Amino acid sequence: MAISLDRQTVSIYAGAALLRLLVFVAFPDLSDFLGSQVEISTPISSFKRLQEGLFLYQHGLSPYDGGVYHQAPLLLVIFEILPSALVFVALDILNAVSLHTIANNLDIPSRRFRKLDGTLIAAAYLFNPFTILSCLGKSTSIFTNTAIIQAVFNAQSGNPLRAMFSLAIGTYLSMYPGLLLPPTLLMILKNKDQPASLASLVMSYIGALAALLSTTIILTDGFWDFLSSCYGAQLTVTDLTPNVGLWWYFFIEIFDSFRDFFIGVFWLHLVGYVGGLTFRLQSQPLFVITSLLGLFAIFKPYPSIADVSLYLGFLPMYSHILPLTRYTFIAASVLLYSTLLGPAFYHLWIYAGSGNANFFYAITLVWSLGLTILVGDTLFAVLRDEWEIERPEMKGKSVRQI
Amino acid sequence: MAPPRITTNGLNLPLPTRLINISRLRSYLLRLPLFTRLILLAIVAFWVLDLQTVWSVIQWGSLTPKEVGFGSMYRLNTFPLIHMGFWHMLLDTACLIPLLERFEAEWGTLNSLALFMGPLGQIPAALYLLVDGVILRDNTPVLGASIWVFLLLASEAIKTYKVHPFIEIAGYNIPTWISPLALLVVTSVLIPNTSFLGHLCGCVTGYLWGLGYIRFLAPPEKVLRWIEGKFNLLGRLPHYVSVDQQTYGRYGVLPSSSTTSPGEHASPIGLGWVGGGILSIRRTAASKRALTWASGNSISRLRKDDPRLLRIPPYLSALCILGGIIWILLLPLNEYSRQTYISENALLPGQVHTYFGGSEQNVFRAYRHELATVSGSTLSPGGNETSSIEEERAWADKRNAKIQELFRNAGLKTARQRYSYTSSGQTFEGENVYAVLHAPRGDGTEAIVLLAPLKNIDDALNVNGVPLLISLARYFKRWSLWSKDIIFLVTPDSFAGPQAWIDAYHSTHDPRAVEDLSLKSGALQAAVCIDYPFEHRFETLHIAYDGVNGALPNLDLFNTAVTIASGQMGIGTSIQFQHTYTDRDSQSAYPSRLQILVRGMASQALGQATGPHSSFMTYHIDAITLTAIGQGWQDEMAFGRTVESICRSLNNLLEKLHQSFFFYLLMQSNRFVSIGTYLPSAMIIAAAYTFMAIYLWVLSGYRLKEKTAVTVDGTAEQEAKEKDRAADKQTPTSIEQVPKVEFISIDRNLILPIALLAGIHLASLIPLYLLTSLTLKVMPSTFFLLALFSIVLPIVLASALPEMPNNTTLPAFAAPTNEQYVLIKSLSLLLLGLFLTVLATLNFSLSMFLGIACVPLAFVDRMPGKKRLAVLQYLLLLIFSPMGLAAGLGVYEYFVSGQNHVLVAWLQRLAFGWNVWSSWGVPVGVLCIWLPAWIVGATLVASSWFSGVNNTTSQSPAAAQGRRGVVKHSI
Repeated sequence: MAISLDRQTVSIYAGAALLRLLVFVAFPDLSDFLGSQVEISTPISSFKRLQEGLFLYQHGLSPYDGGVYHQAPLLLVIFEILPSALVFVALDILNAVSLHTIANNLDIPSRRFRKLDGTLIAAAYLFNPFTILSCLGKSTSIFTNTAIIQAVFNAQSGNPLRAMFSLAIGTYLSMYPGLLLPPTLLMILKNKDQPASLASLVMSYIGALAALLSTTIILTDGFWDFLSSCYGAQLTVTDLTPNVGLWWYFFIEIFDSFRDFFIGVFWLHLVGYVGGLTFRLQSQPLFVITSLLGLFAIFKPYPSIADVSLYLGFLPMYSHILPLTRYTFIAASVLLYSTLLGPAFYHLWIYAGSGNANFFYAITLVWSLGLTILVGDTLFAVLRDEWEIERPEMKGKSVRQI
Repeated sequence: MAPPRITTNGLNLPLPTRLINISRLRSYLLRLPLFTRLILLAIVAFWVLDLQTVWSVIQWGSLTPKEVGFGSMYRLNTFPLIHMGFWHMLLDTACLIPLLERFEAEWGTLNSLALFMGPLGQIPAALYLLVDGVILRDNTPVLGASIWVFLLLASEAIKTYKVHPFIEIAGYNIPTWISPLALLVVTSVLIPNTSFLGHLCGCVTGYLWGLGYIRFLAPPEKVLRWIEGKFNLLGRLPHYVSVDQQTYGRYGVLPSSSTTSPGEHASPIGLGWVGGGILSIRRTAASKRALTWASGNSISRLRKDDPRLLRIPPYLSALCILGGIIWILLLPLNEYSRQTYISENALLPGQVHTYFGGSEQNVFRAYRHELATVSGSTLSPGGNETSSIEEERAWADKRNAKIQELFRNAGLKTARQRYSYTSSGQTFEGENVYAVLHAPRGDGTEAIVLLAPLKNIDDALNVNGVPLLISLARYFKRWSLWSKDIIFLVTPDSFAGPQAWIDAYHSTHDPRAVEDLSLKSGALQAAVCIDYPFEHRFETLHIAYDGVNGALPNLDLFNTAVTIASGQMGIGTSIQFQHTYTDRDSQSAYPSRLQILVRGMASQALGQATGPHSSFMTYHIDAITLTAIGQGWQDEMAFGRTVESICRSLNNLLEKLHQSFFFYLLMQSNRFVSIGTYLPSAMIIAAAYTFMAIYLWVLSGYRLKEKTAVTVDGTAEQEAKEKDRAADKQTPTSIEQVPKVEFISIDRNLILPIALLAGIHLASLIPLYLLTSLTLKVMPSTFFLLALFSIVLPIVLASALPEMPNNTTLPAFAAPTNEQYVLIKSLSLLLLGLFLTVLATLNFSLSMFLGIACVPLAFVDRMPGKKRLAVLQYLLLLIFSPMGLAAGLGVYEYFVSGQNHVLVAWLQRLAFGWNVWSSWGVPVGVLCIWLPAWIVGATLVASSWFSGVNNTTSQSPAAAQGRRGVVKHSI
């Protein structure tokens, strides 16, 4: 991770770290407040629940007793040793540095592409309000985010084994990064400098995952408890605490007899994007990963703004397609509106009592719509860009499907 | 048969542009031929005509067998055009339009007119009359275009039958002509109230027509052709379909290539980032002419890349603001407001006998006398400051001990609670006393609060209220019917005491300032506050209902109080201090209603407590304050009975009040408007800003250039000219000239605008912090400094912005270009619209008032070169600014009430609200929403004075010229 340390870079990193630490120290209540917001912490990423698990763990009980804690046991070890605020700030900085390096080394075969300034990418990640809020709210999604960013970073810089190991960590922590395996493999295999065989990569991924899972047996007694409350909770969506996603309301409303079927449908829908996008955009595996992250932020079981911050961390690397997008203003406005209206409607529902659950759910739909517009629009722009490379004479002209 | 698909650019691309092709639907509707349009128009017109209730179109025009005589033969023609209602009409037209369009395309407009007004319209009607009226001797009226639908379906089915006689399903050959009959059966089974007979008549006529037996009824083609030629119908009527299809083609013109022009993707109204390439309006103008000749439709002439469209949004947004204000002004009318009613049946207001009276009056007097003995200090002015405070505390202690003793004598558990708040350097302290009556028939999980403050919100001594509360406590204790605990609370004041108590009740208090409660009961269901600040008899009850932050109690509680007071007790009620400005007789007049409405909104917008009940609303406990006012003949026992009856109603509740409205505006004690009726006004005002933001965003992406001189791009120009010439050959030359403008798209540079806006919005937290945390001594000076600073800041910013090129350390922050100024304004208005929308969901009235106060911000703009106009704009902005508001308020109060420190008193109240009630509405609304938007707007205006040499050198003259053109539009 060699990045040049000029004044600008240092000031951005130092500023971001100071900002976070300052808020942690000066407004300790704010962190608790943010940690209890449903947009920031979900059942699988809440720091409060982690503390509950930690308490049980430190007193020699299984952290999964009581059914509150749904996260991986390795996190308990980390927070047993290290102060939480520092961990979150450090991970944010680490993510930014990795994104910085990825952007510096990125080369996209497009005529519009200009060499990126990694510092700006890092700044866009660090000063993104969603990133700041999820860091201050101590959402443990950041560990998964770090794992994914590390996987991409290592895949790009030619460390296939490390990439596989990072992806395995991500999968171990929250499962869905496993879906990023195909584009990551593609990215590694496209990288000609480091020849690697597909079989060995997959084997190393499975091996790493198995090793991580086996640590559970050392850390806690109940391996099956762990499986059912960590992965089972994500697979079958047992905890229906409201969040910004689409699952909770649907599975509150669904009749029990259809529940299993629709859980299958929802997961199939999520998985369905992987193959198609990887195949269609095989020349740009990084964009496949970016788009998938955007889709996961909409369609995964317990999404939060931390997932969006990850997507928005990668997206600025494609700023060259900005002129080709068509609805960015609309998407940005919709996201802005739903960002502010979401907490307002949640307040009306839970505290003021003058609204109801439909208020908040409607806003989560709008939020998902905004993200969908963004993902769809950037996909369109990248495809258009590809097409213009094929047919340079059509650059800037209007096309229409007939 | 189907109209030709219009495809222009021969590219076949696998890029999906849209999932549902709205433009195709639109073009289909725009290309409907003339007769179909007329029929559609007639059907809709009849439907609209039928909306009134005076004269029934249906009775006038339906085909009723008994009604048809020689004088009413018109019914044979009118009945297919009239429908029972909207859905009937929609369904019928949706079925009819495609069929009729095909028919007209085949037969021509004149033929269709003659046929449908003649034989094809009348034969089915005559058949129906014959069968229904003569043979069956029935008198069922029929209506609607469905008879034509079946007619046309039948004739189409015959046509199909001639080509494909059978369809084979599972080995059976089914003749295709049977399909309309099948449909007929299905319709009459599935859809209620369909006339099987009427449809059958249509079908039969359709078969006859399709088989050619009644073709002879069609007017001879020669005549039609003569008419068409003589009157030049083809040239005069738009969308006319010629009789003679061989010569002119089906529509009289060749299909033009105008629906998809090459520039569509890059049109200026598209909201994306469009880069690269030059788009010329002329290119589309050429193809447009071909269309305009055929259509003649003025709306279709306004295509989406027409520069005239760019002039609409400012007017649209002005219209929105105007509409929002007019909407509010309409609300007091009877048509838009509603009579209040009780939704929750369990309340049963006024259904019980009340027994508070008789000897209770003696008890009440005794209590009043006892309390008078311990309230000495408040009546006698003390000597010096410190001793009087000491004395005051001693008296308060004595008084509380006495109240506690009285409660205990009545057999209730009591407790006390101390509190001490600090705001603006002043201390507000006191001690609450309360008693809990445990419900004889309840489990203590629910409770009602009765509250009487020692001093009411106007700082008057509640001389009768407190004794009344205690005698009610004694009286209630003897009843065994309570199913909810009743808490009797006496607070020393009306603003801090209730807040301290309710906070501590829910354990959300700061233990350093407020003591814990030692005695608690169940979840609070409702609270009623008693305020009777004099000893004589009263006339009416004033009901205060608005809470902190504009929260309102459930309308059912308010209605219960009004129903009981006026219905059961015969005591008049008033709201929003209406007794001070209207007389009793004119209460239901429009001006009085409007005044109460606006006062209610103002009180809601301020979000301050209007009585001791206000603090309860924060915890979603419905609460009201009853205040005795006026000199009349109602005594304290009547007040007591009212409270007793309200308590009995609340005692009936099975669940928390939820049935009725939580969002409403009252304009009389028995009239209200609900959220569905009033919310749109605030929303459209907020939308006005968003419109402007989108409009400016679009503008900021283009340089608009008028093509007067020969310009840059030679080849594009050449190309356009050639196309023009080609088009000119086909089209008459009398078409008006479309203004020739060119949009050059440019990339938007967002870093500076976003940074500037973020900076200004974050900086607005500084005055918020200062004004809510400073002490009273430094408050005036700080406030005036801040106000002065805010007035000067825009000018400083405006002068600093063009000097930015000197800032070499951060290359992103160069001097803003003209487009960036537009962007700054766009984003600022976007944020304003966004905040106002969010605010409208939380505190409607505040959002409404802020929206109106911000109106000038949407319409002022920088105007380089017109410095005097800019000065005028700046002055206008100064008037409509938070500072202007404060100054106006100060001057008004100074001249009206002669007080000197009005502003400071206001600031102190707001700070108190912020610190104690957490009433954030006005501070946040004014300082964090209005002020930043104002500073941005004022900076833009001020920058007109500083757009000196520096700026113009960096701009191409063409662009500068283009800007001026745009500026003209946006003002």
